[in-house]
Amino acid sequence: MLAPKLEAQTPAKSVRALFLRVLESVLVVFVVASITFFALRLLPGDPALLILGDQASPEALAHVRAQLHLNEPLHVQYARFCFRLLTFDFGESLRWPGSEARTRVLLALRPTSELAVTSTLLGAIFGTGAAVLASGPWLGRYFRLVEWVLTALAAVPLLALAPLLTWLLAVRFHACALPSDVESGPSALLFGAALLAVPLGAHVGRVARGSLAEVSRALYLTTARAKGGRALRVWFVHALATVMGPVVTTVAAQLGALLGGAVVVERLFARPGLGSLMLEAYASRDLPVLEGAIVASGALFVMAQAAATGVHLLIDPRARPERTKSRA
Amino acid sequence: MKRALALFPLFALLVVALLAMVTSAFDPRFLVPEHAWLSPSRSHWLGCGDGGIDLLAAIANATTRALFMGATVALFGWVIGTPLGTWAAYRGGVAERLVSRTSDLVQAFPTFLFAMSVLAAVRTPTRMHVAVVFCVTAWVPFARLALAEARVLRRASYIEAAEALGASRTRVLLVHLIPGVLAPTSVQFGSSAAAVVIGEAALAFIGLGPRDGLSLGALLEQGLFAMTRAPHVLVATVLVLVATNAALLVSGRAFQSVRGSHVRRHR
Repeated sequence: MLAPKLEAQTPAKSVRALFLRVLESVLVVFVVASITFFALRLLPGDPALLILGDQASPEALAHVRAQLHLNEPLHVQYARFCFRLLTFDFGESLRWPGSEARTRVLLALRPTSELAVTSTLLGAIFGTGAAVLASGPWLGRYFRLVEWVLTALAAVPLLALAPLLTWLLAVRFHACALPSDVESGPSALLFGAALLAVPLGAHVGRVARGSLAEVSRALYLTTARAKGGRALRVWFVHALATVMGPVVTTVAAQLGALLGGAVVVERLFARPGLGSLMLEAYASRDLPVLEGAIVASGALFVMAQAAATGVHLLIDPRARPERTKSRA
Repeated sequence: MKRALALFPLFALLVVALLAMVTSAFDPRFLVPEHAWLSPSRSHWLGCGDGGIDLLAAIANATTRALFMGATVALFGWVIGTPLGTWAAYRGGVAERLVSRTSDLVQAFPTFLFAMSVLAAVRTPTRMHVAVVFCVTAWVPFARLALAEARVLRRASYIEAAEALGASRTRVLLVHLIPGVLAPTSVQFGSSAAAVVIGEAALAFIGLGPRDGLSLGALLEQGLFAMTRAPHVLVATVLVLVATNAALLVSGRAFQSVRGSHVRRHR
């Protein structure tokens, strides 16, 4: 029998660990947002000049300073900033007066989440599929080929892979429409998500392959085979169940890369989303929107990581105390 | 011998880039509008990019700068992170937990996002600004590795012997522990530098790069813009980016000592 790898935890303990984890991650988002706050105000250079440019009139500069509360003492500004973080209210967009920064950020969240969720699903399926393919008996001695491909894909940066694949598929071989075409619709989402899924899937595949190699000689698989289970059933039903935990952990570890990748993909295909919003806000120094977008993406990241930890506890019976005891 | 071979791709890349930079008749910043997006030819080996810049000169310059920046940032991370991690492991207790948790948290947060939020405070990010931002997080993988290494090392009998002979804690740390950890942590050097090269290119790709445009990311952006009429720009830049990344990743193996074989590899 497979020895439980994770320490047996009581439910209260795991809930507490999860809570501490979330608390820590919230702290990280807060620290990063604070660094942005202080970098903008303490580094040489007037933020109002940065926003409006050198030709701005003194009145306009004074107006922006008042709007951003730059004329107040630093500690008052910081207190206001902390309050805004709590209420997720960053004030009015500078670039588009009349629209709330919060509204724009919330609108941008949807396309980015769609992209992230689709690519996570694709990557997990692709990665575990490849790992099972390499572990099962189907490829004979060519299973190393899958491992090599996974290693190579994991080493190629998305930044290089995405433009090249786009060019090859859309321009060179006309296999699909250029994803930035307006009429390409959901296929653009799928294409962008597939690009993001390649490095993710490669990492997942390598981890899953490692854990499958560990269980490949486990007695319960031999039992399953002895009872007449076909290879497909043995690997996909019995073996795959044990790698779900590591797969979820890997996906969680790669979330940061996924978020960075989403910015690149959105830029690549001119897709609307959090990344595009951040870039636009950065270019025009729309500070309220930029602050909101950074906090929102940080929060998204934190929530996804906490969710991954929760899912891991949920789907991996070895992480739960009752089952571990009854098995042992 | 075999280990030194791992440095060869990086060395070859650097030599080719430097040679191309020095021998090139073109200034990568010199615009010749009528040569814009020219295909590769006898005079322009890799063709021309936006505004008629010579692509070979531009790529060679960008690669050299990227490699230099990656190496500098990785060196900084090594010099800061290794003693920090070793000190924390030797000290134990609160210091160990603090460094360990801090590096966990910093590593968990996307560097890319962090860089973007800090760079918003400067008017035009220069190469220096970008390098400083990467330095803020560069120490983390080294500190984690050093922690793991020093936790084992601090129980070694030669450390006990040094303590028994009356060496001060500072002396044990500086003379006996840190030198022993420096070698195993240098394995991380290649992947850290590679991460910086890719990160810098990604920032330049989305428009947060240096003004002179001498970055692989800026060239990638050019190539993407003109991928229907001048695909050579995109293909050449992507290949060089992949080669640079791979060369740096492979070079890390040169530092892999026999002792360090149990060291966990980080991304």
